[in-house]
Amino acid sequence: MKINFSAALAALCALGVSDAKGENDRSAERMATRVCAMCHGPDGDSISPTFPRLAGQSAQYVEAQLKSFRDRTRADPPAMAYMWGMAAQLDDATIKGLATFYASREAQAVSHRPSPALELGKEIYERGLPANGVPPCGSCHGAAARGNATVPRLAGQHPEYLFKQLAFFKAKLRGNDPVMAAVCAEMTDEQMRTVAAYASSRQAK
Amino acid sequence: MGDAQLTLSLRSTHVVFASLLAFTVAMLASTKNALAVPSFARQTGFACEACHTVFPELTPFGRQFKLNGYLVDNLPQIKDVTSENQEALLLNWLPPLSLQFVTSYTKFKTALPDPNGGLSQNGTVQFPEQASLFYAGRIAPKLGAFIQLTYSNSSNQFGWDNTDIRFADQTALAKEKLAWGLTFNNAPTVQDVWNSTPAWKYPFAQTSSIAPLPSPALTGLVPVTQLDGIGNGTVAGLGAYGYWNDLVYFEVGGYGAAPHGVSAPLNSQFTGEVVSGLAPYWRVAIEPKWGRQSIEVGLVGFADQIVPQGLNVQSGPTNRYIDLAFDAQYQYIGDDNIMSAELTYIYEKQSLNATLPMDPSNTLKTFRLGGSYFYRRQWGGSLGYFSTAGNTNAALYPGTSTGTPNTAGWAAELDYLPWLNVKLAIQYTFYNKFDGAQSNYNGTGRNAFANNTLYLYAWFAF
Repeated sequence: MKINFSAALAALCALGVSDAKGENDRSAERMATRVCAMCHGPDGDSISPTFPRLAGQSAQYVEAQLKSFRDRTRADPPAMAYMWGMAAQLDDATIKGLATFYASREAQAVSHRPSPALELGKEIYERGLPANGVPPCGSCHGAAARGNATVPRLAGQHPEYLFKQLAFFKAKLRGNDPVMAAVCAEMTDEQMRTVAAYASSRQAK
Repeated sequence: MGDAQLTLSLRSTHVVFASLLAFTVAMLASTKNALAVPSFARQTGFACEACHTVFPELTPFGRQFKLNGYLVDNLPQIKDVTSENQEALLLNWLPPLSLQFVTSYTKFKTALPDPNGGLSQNGTVQFPEQASLFYAGRIAPKLGAFIQLTYSNSSNQFGWDNTDIRFADQTALAKEKLAWGLTFNNAPTVQDVWNSTPAWKYPFAQTSSIAPLPSPALTGLVPVTQLDGIGNGTVAGLGAYGYWNDLVYFEVGGYGAAPHGVSAPLNSQFTGEVVSGLAPYWRVAIEPKWGRQSIEVGLVGFADQIVPQGLNVQSGPTNRYIDLAFDAQYQYIGDDNIMSAELTYIYEKQSLNATLPMDPSNTLKTFRLGGSYFYRRQWGGSLGYFSTAGNTNAALYPGTSTGTPNTAGWAAELDYLPWLNVKLAIQYTFYNKFDGAQSNYNGTGRNAFANNTLYLYAWFAF
């Protein structure tokens, strides 16, 4: 029998890569459920608004943020307090595995009561604040606020967390996204709170 | 040096100390928050605020960190694996060491009595009052340690302080996460993760080491419950615990005598108090959380037998103590505002067959309720009530004028933390009752409020 050594080598390499990927995913899942879960909840469904919900979050977004923590380009106060340390020793493969894990979890909804503030938030989310140069949030985050690729999901997120992020962008404490810093520059606290509440209230799935 | 010169010198010292403290406060008031870096911060890369509201009170994450064995690690590691790829070694590249330094000034409303008559000096500077060295962090793949050595001004020597070495792992129980482990520690509740139990009580974790203690009972012990009073360096304990679904905590274990400073097996030559046999310990607690809030409600049980000082540790009779404690803790941890409240109630049933065989049954009850508020972890304060009460027994409490051990009062503290690892505090303790009475508690005309204590302290952890 004639053996095609090149094909066999390629198959072995593919098997190796596949095994390594599986091992990475298992290792990342183990880390997510044992370590990250202490703040972000077992399935990325954190209870405290200090910590964002990660279930159903875009993998590309989570990956970009973890790399931002690791290289310290995201420097808002909670990032410094928690995530700089947590991400310091993560390698790219683990980061990708964590991002994949959280993207695969099912996003949960946050309950909101109808209120005039939500209506104002809806207005800003859908139409922006043209006089202040604020574009409609939905133009990037989507009408359902579920995000896309590097644009994060907002639906189902803690509203307090979303408000704090907008405040950090405005204060230039979270400097890893110049677009959002420009978007928030002319927004008031009330506008940021209402739009955060509306985005959070969108159906998570 | 004459008395007048000595008085002047002491006053000058106090003025200089107070001025330095005021100057330090004024200088630090203009600074901004920075990260603190004691042992766990060094190992994890987390700032103090991840695990503590204000030291030593733990946040929910801090509790998780402790329950999971102090294992979260973000330092480069020295590693080894077996031929089956099992972790055989996982050591921090640098040891997670840190220091804690407390310096203080204590002044009583009326100077304490001098044992030789008259009054003692009033207004005491301690530099340091205590200084601790910590090794705290991971020591093996699933093994972590919190080890504290403390120098005490009053003893002028280093002693073994809080120690908790624990193995921790996780599994699933009824489809939910179960964090479980074994803890090897040196006093009941050192291993506990809530600040409503004695070892890590909060608020008022730091009080003056020279504040007057109630008169010892006939047992030779200061009348506090065993859970409150059994000290490091007297026992060693092993416990198994589980924390299910981030909600329910349970633990069972036991303690045995492990007195320090004893070079041979315990024998009739040993004259100190010593725990006899196995002292069982159990703990249950539940901690629901929602948003930024959490409430814990729990019970602690502990029972021990003590051979009093001077009796034969092998064959002498024992005093038996059974403690049952109820504790509760509430926390709200906001970005700017942090509030917490802790409640502790300990009921102790005593059978003093060694000390008072004719009248052995006695009770002692401890109650503490305290609350604290901090703004941005920088400015804050605490208020608390404390009480220890027991039945009347003139033979058991010979140092009191009423035959009861009752001591109660209030404490208040104002704090300023220029940085997360530096605390400057003013504390005042007001006694309603001391050694069983409000007035003339010691038979020489001294009133409880004469012991009111002003305590200024500065705390540094680095």
